[in-house]
Amino acid sequence: MTAVVDRLRTLPSWQVTLTGALFVLGFLIAAQLAAEGPRVRYTSQERAPLIETALQLEQQRDTLQARILELRARIVELEGQEPGSVALVSELNAALEQARIAGGLVQLAGPGIVFRLEDAENPAGASDALVTARDLRTLVQELWLAGAEAVSINGERVTTGTAVLDIGNAILANSAYLTPPYQVNAIGPPELYDRLTSSASFVEFVRARIEPYGLRLSFAELDSVTVPAYAGAIRTRYARPEPSASPRP
Amino acid sequence: MTSSRQRWAITLVAAVLGLLVVAQLRAQGANPGLSNLSAQELTLVIANVNTRNEQLRAEVAALDRQLTSLTEAQSRGESALGQLRSDLAALEAWAGLTAVVGPGVSIRISGEIGGEGIEDLLNELRNAGAEAIAVEGVRVVPGTVVYGAPGELSVENTPLPDGFEIRAIGSPQILTGTLTRSGGVIAQLGATYPDATISVTPLDSVSIPATDRDLVPSDAQPSL
Repeated sequence: MTAVVDRLRTLPSWQVTLTGALFVLGFLIAAQLAAEGPRVRYTSQERAPLIETALQLEQQRDTLQARILELRARIVELEGQEPGSVALVSELNAALEQARIAGGLVQLAGPGIVFRLEDAENPAGASDALVTARDLRTLVQELWLAGAEAVSINGERVTTGTAVLDIGNAILANSAYLTPPYQVNAIGPPELYDRLTSSASFVEFVRARIEPYGLRLSFAELDSVTVPAYAGAIRTRYARPEPSASPRP
Repeated sequence: MTSSRQRWAITLVAAVLGLLVVAQLRAQGANPGLSNLSAQELTLVIANVNTRNEQLRAEVAALDRQLTSLTEAQSRGESALGQLRSDLAALEAWAGLTAVVGPGVSIRISGEIGGEGIEDLLNELRNAGAEAIAVEGVRVVPGTVVYGAPGELSVENTPLPDGFEIRAIGSPQILTGTLTRSGGVIAQLGATYPDATISVTPLDSVSIPATDRDLVPSDAQPSL
């Protein structure tokens, strides 16, 4: 033993440094190979260009969404400066503002709850241990029933047209690709949490779906929760206002 | 000589080490989700995002036109009240504040089915591009949920009778095809609720009423 220690003492310090560095190097090479492992299996000719395309499309989507928010803001501004009969214009503008709020085109803030829903710690290939689109839909439905006024999932506003779908181990909401952990923001009355947790169907959801499979659901009640504006299309192609509906002033 | 070789060795190791650290960090940072998807799932993501981008482009074009005509009217000192009215009508129709009409489908549901099953159906209708939906005459807007155990379904505190109707406006072909395809939502519901009958009829004209809900929040405030 002492012989080894003596031998170590006689080693020049650069050798010790180099040994240390080589250890780290080996570790990193192993980590890199391990990380590449599952991907190598997939890096067939078809997947790389698909990922590339999906990323490009997502970038385009982000740009388009930013443009829509910007254009809407400028239109609101111009409509506010509309000349003409003051009473009529302000009435129309007020109606437009209300309709934008009702449709989810305006970011809202208020008291509420922020939920975090995650896959089980060790899903071990069991699909029941992963958060599904239906779990998120159930949580959102329970929030609506408890009186929530506005809800978003990972920043995607839940509007009248929002579908939440499974895709691989992730979900699509408003056609946006969202990965866990999922954050559900909800604004509602002060009794939102009490109503939610005393709802028999919510209790059943936690008992039958969250607990047995180790899904992780946590929450925080906050004085100010932000629910972003919907940055998507609202033009209808098939639906038109009912002709018999009373005309506006 | 030896000392120079030692230096080179250390430099080389440090350089490789640095490269690997960067590669590792990048690999961790690059969108964690997409690389876990199969080719088929990626195709689905692409199709979805692509469709949405087309809708977003149409929206940008419409907003551009709206902005241009507002700007021109104002520079001429004219009023754009007509445009404000048509924007309002479009927005209210989409948000569920006014009644709408258009082609679509009528879905008749009878037998024992749970609220989650109906919600799955509504989710699939939205996915297929339904622009307005009503359950037994109740417009579906944010906050509207069909809930209850089989035989005890309700919507907006109104019990649903056995044999109720869901109406949706959209492309009748796409809506019907999406719902009734093999392995689709109706087939799945049939497996979960064997006693339920769900039939879909494409229609040239479907009327959907406005919501009775007050969609303007009282606890939430607009924020920037």
